Order: sequence, then structure tokens, then C-alpha cells
Amino acid sequence: MSTDVVAIHNVSKIFDGGDNRVVALDNVSVTIAKGEMVAIMGPSGSGKSTLMTIIGLLDVPTSGTYLLDGIETSVLDRTAQAGVRNQKLGFIFQNFNLLPRLSALQNVALPMVYARVSVSEREARAKAALEAVGLGNRLNNRPNELSGGQKQRVAIARALVNNPAILLADEPTGALDSRTGHEIMALFRQLNREQGITVVVVTHDAEVGKQMDRIVSLRDGQLNMEALHEYYGINTDDLGRVVTEVPHVG
Amino acid sequence: MWGEQLRMAWQSLRANTFRSLLTMLGIIIGSSTLVSVLSLGNALQGQVFERFIDLGTRRVAILPGDPDANGARVSSGYGLLSIKDFNALAKMVTTHPEIFRTIVPEVALKVRARSGTVEVDSLVVGTGADYQKVQSVPLESGRFFTIEEEQSAERVAVLGSLVTEDLFGKGAENRAKAVGQTIIINGQSIKILGVIKGAGGPFSSDQRILVPAGTARLRIAGNQDLPGRGLKMSSILLGLRTEGVVTKAESLITTTLRDARNVPVGAIDDFKINSPTQALGILNGINSAITGFIAVVAGISLVVGGIGIMNIMLVAVTERTREIGVRKALGATDRDVLGQFVIEAATISLIGSLIGIGFAVALVLAIASAAGLGMILSIPAVIISLVFALGIGIGFGYYPAKRAALLLPIEALRYE
Repeated sequence: MSTDVVAIHNVSKIFDGGDNRVVALDNVSVTIAKGEMVAIMGPSGSGKSTLMTIIGLLDVPTSGTYLLDGIETSVLDRTAQAGVRNQKLGFIFQNFNLLPRLSALQNVALPMVYARVSVSEREARAKAALEAVGLGNRLNNRPNELSGGQKQRVAIARALVNNPAILLADEPTGALDSRTGHEIMALFRQLNREQGITVVVVTHDAEVGKQMDRIVSLRDGQLNMEALHEYYGINTDDLGRVVTEVPHVG
Repeated sequence: MWGEQLRMAWQSLRANTFRSLLTMLGIIIGSSTLVSVLSLGNALQGQVFERFIDLGTRRVAILPGDPDANGARVSSGYGLLSIKDFNALAKMVTTHPEIFRTIVPEVALKVRARSGTVEVDSLVVGTGADYQKVQSVPLESGRFFTIEEEQSAERVAVLGSLVTEDLFGKGAENRAKAVGQTIIINGQSIKILGVIKGAGGPFSSDQRILVPAGTARLRIAGNQDLPGRGLKMSSILLGLRTEGVVTKAESLITTTLRDARNVPVGAIDDFKINSPTQALGILNGINSAITGFIAVVAGISLVVGGIGIMNIMLVAVTERTREIGVRKALGATDRDVLGQFVIEAATISLIGSLIGIGFAVALVLAIASAAGLGMILSIPAVIISLVFALGIGIGFGYYPAKRAALLLPIEALRYE
């Protein structure tokens, strides 16, 4: 067993809507090692969102295999998928997706509700998670009483609270101003350094992409490095630090 | 998990208080109707029962047989009751004191009664001093006749309230004044001993003049005798020790009377035994039918309330599609989501039912205190109402909840 948290092999996703058959992912293979920070980039319709939903077990591939932290996902039923999402994945969304009627603490505790964690432990862990993202003084505020950056921090605390294998963020800075966006990215980097957590970010933002260890670039459902330069002006040669994904051959 | 889902349900109801109340309306109306109708129906049933205990559930009446009944023998005077039957039964009463308390005849005579120049048509009922033990004839003033007066066939009478008013004028004062006065029946002067309290209704003694049986026979009737059988009686009443011996008493009476009346083996009884439990059964049956009917209407209201809940839950599932998506992304299973929405529907229904029961309790207690009925709230009705409402909530909440549970996480998350 490798240390790859994500091992996607020859995955295709085809949306068959009768007359318009859309190949969202065409035979893609990607691996992400434990502790890596990876950006998934590509223009609209490139398949990057589809790839994220497959990594996040929110959808299943039409063909190919996907091992998540060593678990063969194709054999999981709906209940088992829910369990894996609960235990292995932490989601962060562009629009935060906090439940408006719940306080920050209750929002963060929610994944533990579905993990059948006791009330007292839930509260303690949720509180610690909020403190870790700098919101120890906002425990009982509802989302509409928080700023955008604070909401995203609550979402991050919620994503981390069950100690997942991967933090999966979909345009995490998309709804934030650039300064707040930087803070959120810095928080990801800090979590990655301090806790070794694997971070996968789907983004349109070249600045966000450049801050990651590696960029997976997609175009028309296939891995494509040229698109990175074409769409985002990122010259792979300029990115000394960035190790780009080599398109899968064969 | 249950506690958590109850809390979620509560939060979601609080978020839409007015809508939740509107949704509950059907259940509120259904539950309050169910509880108040069942409670009042029960109370009414109890009242009827008590009235009958007044009239004597410990009583059996022997009535003449119907000559037109299927299987009746053809003979003159078939079915009529006479003093011979009374004497046979009286003997039976003395040999079975553990079953029978007393026996009194009813000799009914249509007469014209006169006081001064006022004349009225009335019904004289010749009976015994024990009549009070088998019939509800509470006296408003004066007294009933005694055993001695009965045995010596004194010219005395106890009058029903309406007869008294017809003869002496309306009002309590006139009725009270009647006691001690004399009326003329068939040329005989009869002294009024007492006046019976008015009861109303066709079965009361309001229109009657009660006299000792001997007085009716010797002084008033002239000749009411049946050929070879003696005095004709319209009915014979027997007082029982307890309600529990009704069946035993009936079989003893049947044997005694068939023997006394020489009813051949195989022929049907040429008399009727009327026990008040039958009448009570019929009255209760009518009451139950009415109560049941209204309860069914209340039940329909609950079902309609359930449809309202289903409707609003379908709306809620659509409105909260993203929330469902988020919950699923965070690890909620289909069962978790199903449970959440079923519990929410059940909570709406239960709270609605509790509110309805609250209204019903207020109504029932108000009626009870106004009518002086005491504690009449039906606890079984409350329980039935709660259980029914819970069932409705779960039943009608299931379909919307199932739809929520089967949503695909990615589609729910992308729902705008």
C-alpha cells in the first residue's frame, strides 16, 4: 500500500443525457500523496469540478478505479459512502454552505453528529476546532452574524473536526476579498505544515494555484499542462517550487 | 441521534413559526374535536347510566305477551297478566330473597278525575307501597301510601305533577296545596297523600295517579277481572338485590310463569320480560353511534391535517435541498436524512395534537363546571388522539422524507 491518499486510475465520467452525451472526464489518472497540497485547475467545462466530486465521493465515476486512503470506493454502497465522507473527507465550499439556523459551534459539531459522537465530546472538539481557526470568541454566533472570512473559518473547522485524510476545497477564496483569501490560504498552509493534512483545492485563481505544491491541470476532461499557461498565464518554468502533474500516457 | 433529530426538528419549526402553526391547524382541530367529543360522549353515557340506576337497573318488568307474535297460540285473552301470575311470582320472591327484593303490580285504568268542576283524563295505576323501590317516583310534597293503606285498600292516591297542575292549577304552590285535598274518580272520593316531582318524558309518572292495587280493583275498576284468572294487570315489577342477578332472575321468572300459565313445552313464552339493561344497552348504543360518527369526522380531520403536513414537508424538502446536500457531504446517511424529516413531521403533528388537546381540555372542563358534571375528561381519548396524531405525522411525513433521503449528494449541493 502506497502512501497515496488519492489514487485515481483511468477514471472517466460520462453524463448521458440522451442526445447530448458529455464526457466530463476522459480516462484520467491522478495520484495525490499524503501531506501534499494540490490545486486542480482548468477552464469551465474542463472537468475539474467533476474530478473534485469524484474525489469527494459525492459522485461515482462511469469507469476506472479510485482508491481513497487505501479504500476501494467502487464497492461502497450509499451508507458506506456517507461513512467515508464523514471520516475521510473534509469539505470546504465557495459559498461556505453553513446551516443558517445553527450556531458556529453547532455547525462545526454536525459531522460528529453523524459520527455518533457523544454530546459532551462533540462540544469540546468543536470548540477546540473553532479556537484552532481563531474563532474561539464566536462560538454561539450564527452564520449571518459572521463576516465572509469568519464563515470560511467555521467551514474549515467543520471540515477538520473529524480528522479527515483530505481537506477538499472548492474555490475556497472565490467569495472572499483578496486579503481574506490570503488569510485562508495561509491557514491551509499552516494546517498542512503543522498537522500534515492533505489539501486539495479546486480553483480558478492563479494566485491560489501558485501557492500549492503541485497543480493538476485539466482541459476537455483530460490532463493538459498547456492549458495552465493558456488560461492562467502560469509558466511552469517560473514555478520552481511547483511540481506539475505529468499527463498520464497510455 | 434521536435527541439531535428532535432538536433539529424543533429548530426548523421555530424558524417558521407561523407556517408551522398553519400546518398544524388540521391536527389541532382534529385532536380537539376527538378529545372533546369522546369526553363529552363518555360523560353523557355516564349520565344515562345514572338516570337508569335512578329508575332502577335492579328491576325487571313483566309485560303481557303479544298475541300477534310469531308462534303465539290462538286463545282468548292470550298473553294478558293477572293476579294469578302475580301471586305465583310473589311466592317465588319469598322463596328467593337472595335474588328478589320486592314485587309490585301495575294495574292501569283509564279514568276521568274531577276536582270541584275541573275534570281531566288520566291513568290510574294500582300498585304496592314498595313501588318507590322499583320506580323513580321521588315525592315533591306529602308522602307515599303505606303497606297498611295498601292492604286495606284505602281511598288514597299519589299524583303526578302534571295531573296535579291540571286539576289544581300551575305552579309549585298549587301543587303543594293539592296535598290533603280530595278528588273524585268514578264516583269515589280519593284523598291526595303526595305529589310526585316532575321528571318529564313519556315514561315518567307525571300524568299518573298512583293508588293501592286493592283500591284500583275494588273502588275504581268495577270489574277488571279476567275470566277464571282474577284481576288483570298491565305489568308486574320485580325489584332485584343486585344488577348481577338479572339473568338468574329472568330464568326463575320464566320457569315460574310458564308453570303458572300452563304454557305447553315447546310453545313460546306468552309474556315478556323487560330488563332495564336492554334499554340501557339501546340508549348507550345510540350514544356510541353518535359519538363514533363525530369521532370518525374528527379522524378525517386528522387525516386531512396529515395531508397538510405532507404538503408542507414536500415544500420543506425542496426548500432545503442544499441543506440536505451539505448534510450528506458531511456524512449523513440516507437513514439520517429520512429520520430527520420523519421526526420533523411527527413533531409538527404531535405538537398540533397537544395544542388541540389543550383546547379540548379547556372546553371540556368549562362544560363540566357549567353543567356540574365533575371530572369528565377522557384520558383514553387523549391517548388515542396523541397516538393517532403521531401515526399520521409519521405516515404522511414518510414520503417527503424518503424523497429527501434519496437525493444524490452532488445534485442536492448544486440545487439552486
